[in-house]
Amino acid sequence: MSRTDILAEGEAYDAGTTERKATRRDRWLTGTTFLAFFLVWVGVTGAGHWPPLIRPIFLPSPLAVWQAFLALLEHGYQGNSLWYHVGISFYRFAFAFSSCVLIGVPLGLLLGMNRTARAILEPPIQAIRPIPKLALLPLFLIWFGIGNTSKIIIIAAPVFPLIVIAAMQAVRSVSTKKIQAARCLGAGNWTVFSRVVLPACLPGIFTGIRMAISIAVTMLVAAELTATSDGIAWMSLTAAEFLSTDIVLVGVVIMAVLGFSLDRMIRAIELRIVHWSGHE
Amino acid sequence: MMIERIELATPDRRAGSKLNLEGLTKTFGAGAEAVQALAPTDIAVTEGEFLAIVGPSGCGKTTLLNIVAGFETPSGGCAVLDGRPIEGPGSERGVVFQQGALFNWMSVLENVAFGPRACGVAPDAARESAQAMLEKVGLGGFVENYPYQLSGGMQQRVGIARALVNDPAILLMDEPFAALDQQTRELLQEEVRGMWRETGKTVLWITHSIEEALFLASHIVVMTARPGRVKAAFRCRFSESPDLLVASTPEFTAAKREILGLLRSESEAAQRQESMI
Repeated sequence: MSRTDILAEGEAYDAGTTERKATRRDRWLTGTTFLAFFLVWVGVTGAGHWPPLIRPIFLPSPLAVWQAFLALLEHGYQGNSLWYHVGISFYRFAFAFSSCVLIGVPLGLLLGMNRTARAILEPPIQAIRPIPKLALLPLFLIWFGIGNTSKIIIIAAPVFPLIVIAAMQAVRSVSTKKIQAARCLGAGNWTVFSRVVLPACLPGIFTGIRMAISIAVTMLVAAELTATSDGIAWMSLTAAEFLSTDIVLVGVVIMAVLGFSLDRMIRAIELRIVHWSGHE
Repeated sequence: MMIERIELATPDRRAGSKLNLEGLTKTFGAGAEAVQALAPTDIAVTEGEFLAIVGPSGCGKTTLLNIVAGFETPSGGCAVLDGRPIEGPGSERGVVFQQGALFNWMSVLENVAFGPRACGVAPDAARESAQAMLEKVGLGGFVENYPYQLSGGMQQRVGIARALVNDPAILLMDEPFAALDQQTRELLQEEVRGMWRETGKTVLWITHSIEEALFLASHIVVMTARPGRVKAAFRCRFSESPDLLVASTPEFTAAKREILGLLRSESEAAQRQESMI
């Protein structure tokens, strides 16, 4: 062990502790942001102790939203329990999203590896990408009916190309040096793919998946805009027609929690699997 | 004399060569855009030699190594190792890159065991030989770490261990220490010197540092600016000296002057080429 190497180790250790301190500080600041946001909400809605600055019909107090949530838990909404609405929405979301990952990632990897496949499939995928998928909603309703199929497809429509292209780009940006290194160590095509290309792609694929989550949640609202009578977004949309702002907010919060917790979950998986992320 | 001019591609050397490059050329692109990186190059390397190639940047020395490694195909001529023409990469040619070629998703041990595993060695045996090789390069205590947790010098040790563990017929090194700081580089140079003496491996070493070439190599090739070809070749005996401070002797300085003189005009030519672009 040389002296310089040991020094470098020591520096790495110091960098580690400073980093941890910085992370703690960041968490504090993030927490404070949320708290401030909540306090403003309480302040402008009055919380029962002073006259609200904003009328409850526009912005109900946190307490009113909580009570609406409890009432929904007890009585359900328009004939179905709250869990039913959450469940059916989650089913649409999860089915669309997991299909996109299960088909899109392997397809993207294939496009990245194989020039022929890329020539055949990349132009149509790139051509479809800029089309606003909401514009296709009426078409999907005509083609796939008013059942769950059309809803799943409208969610998948923007998510699928995004994941395919993220996986493809990840393959294309794998360092040539690493592939060359594997080859001159005696690795064949399959070993190069499974032990070098695939792991090297994972950070890029995870980034694509996380970007797709927020789009998928947005499209869930679009999917439940018309031709449905269940789902959490549908609950919010119909409640708005009756100016039941508290129920609208319950729906919004549930969807926000869904999107946020999925993002955190995938981030946690990513940190566990892709521990080298950020180191080329 | 510590260095003397020699011919590298004499019939004698060719006859007993380990690595034989005959009329090797490489042109990138085609038509008006074509750039000739390598003019016809003839080099014969015999078993156990440590051949350093020095040249100005862009002279095609890395192209030459890439052809020997099998990463690129020559536009003309041929490269033959142990009587077999080189076609594509193979485990009998170990390559050490400048940096960034380690697999960050594998531990240091897995990185080094990758080669034997890819060549069909059983997992346990592969890990054992990887462990032994890592101890040899002074990384016995870091086998469970990941490459990105190591300093640049340690990463290069892993790269060397990874190339050596396959016991290749020839070791190809592409400016392996160029990105390291001075102290680390000098330390690793001393270790490589010792390792070469111990194992007697045939080495092809690309560098832009004349000192490094003089200190390590048994033979030195000076290349011209693009298109690269052999400008001069030397037999060099500084690497045989037991003195680790041989670089501070007057003979070393004189040898350095001689090669620097050859290289100077080529570097100027290389500069002119770059400013033309």
